[in-house]
Amino acid sequence: MPEKIIVKVDPDIADLVPGYIDNRHRDIGLLSEALAKNDYDGLRKIGHDLKGSGSGYGFDKITEMGRTLESAAKSGDGTEIKKLIDELTDYLDRLEIVYE
Amino acid sequence: MSILIIDDSRDIINITETFLKNAGYKDLVSCSSAEEAMTFVGLSENLSPNNDIELILMDIMMPGINGIELTMTIKNHEAFKDIPIIMLTANETVQDLQNSFAVGAMDYIKKPFKKEELLARVSSALRLKHEMDQRKAREKELLETMQQLETANKMLQTLSAIDSLTNIANRRFLDHYLYEEWRRAVRNEASLSIIMADIDHFKLYNDTHGHQAGDEVIKKVAAVLKAAVHRPGDLVARYGGEEFIVVLQDTGKEGGMQLAEKMRQNIFSLSIPHDKSSYGLVSLSLGVSSVVPTMESSTEKLINEADKALYKAKEKGRNRAEYYDGKG
Repeated sequence: MPEKIIVKVDPDIADLVPGYIDNRHRDIGLLSEALAKNDYDGLRKIGHDLKGSGSGYGFDKITEMGRTLESAAKSGDGTEIKKLIDELTDYLDRLEIVYE
Repeated sequence: MSILIIDDSRDIINITETFLKNAGYKDLVSCSSAEEAMTFVGLSENLSPNNDIELILMDIMMPGINGIELTMTIKNHEAFKDIPIIMLTANETVQDLQNSFAVGAMDYIKKPFKKEELLARVSSALRLKHEMDQRKAREKELLETMQQLETANKMLQTLSAIDSLTNIANRRFLDHYLYEEWRRAVRNEASLSIIMADIDHFKLYNDTHGHQAGDEVIKKVAAVLKAAVHRPGDLVARYGGEEFIVVLQDTGKEGGMQLAEKMRQNIFSLSIPHDKSSYGLVSLSLGVSSVVPTMESSTEKLINEADKALYKAKEKGRNRAEYYDGKG
């Protein structure tokens, strides 16, 4: 069993969080597709949105990954992007949310 | 009044709405593009402006029309220029922020934002907006009061110049007007005449017919005298009791006497019965004086001379006009 990543989230937004996490799972698919098509604009846009939303929901790590993704997309660094997709997948798998 | 949130990311709209709703902001509207927002605000063609928006939170980077362009469009519209706009931005470039402020945004919030930061900025923007609205309302009120005051002043000015019984100029206005006409005549070396007119045996008329009938006679005489002058610069004023003064611009002895005679005739032909008068009818005595004014002479002297001519008309048997010939 891989180690859990425990994140504390404001109970005020408890209703929103499952939907937010679902969208991130969907992002993994979108990112892989975009990378396959070398759609760096699309990759950058997703990175930009992750950066802008993550911390607001309590997920600083998502903002950080989004920032890295955005700059990797800008410089067309496919290897780095592949790594980030894996990292995001791993993060979501191990994520455990605590509302407090 | 609603808060409008414009962002192409559903995740951002969701969390912004939730933070605001939990803080008690009930009236929230969200648009996921600038185009959608323009329709809601009433900026697109054939739409009437939506006057119910008190704050806009707007993403900068949106596909299609971006936040800076949209802010510029909103701020250029008279109906919306006072709505505060806070930019939501995940771009740390200084240029974006400079552009935002340049087109009229009042503040910005960096994404990702914490609840506390969002609420603090929203609440301070709204407070500022309410203060501004209140100040504008007070300014409008003040302006209205000033306009009312001005209207009242004009009315007072008119009232203070008009004799309430006869509705012709009163003594106060006559003094002012004669002084101005005097100065004008001095400048232009023009002649100036006045006619002083007095209703004959008016006291006896009052004693016989009563004061109310007397007032009616004064009103009729005033109306007839006023109707006899036609030039805009000529003035008929009630001087006191049953006395009137007519000021005539650019008029000498001949013109003054002609008009005085015409006034005498017009009054006499009213044929108002006056038992105590030797003519049996209400009549008018008039004294005329003319001058080409100089700084050495005075309006008082001119009036005094007309009064002397009037006295002469009374002496000679009333119901006549006399000219001041330098005697007496």
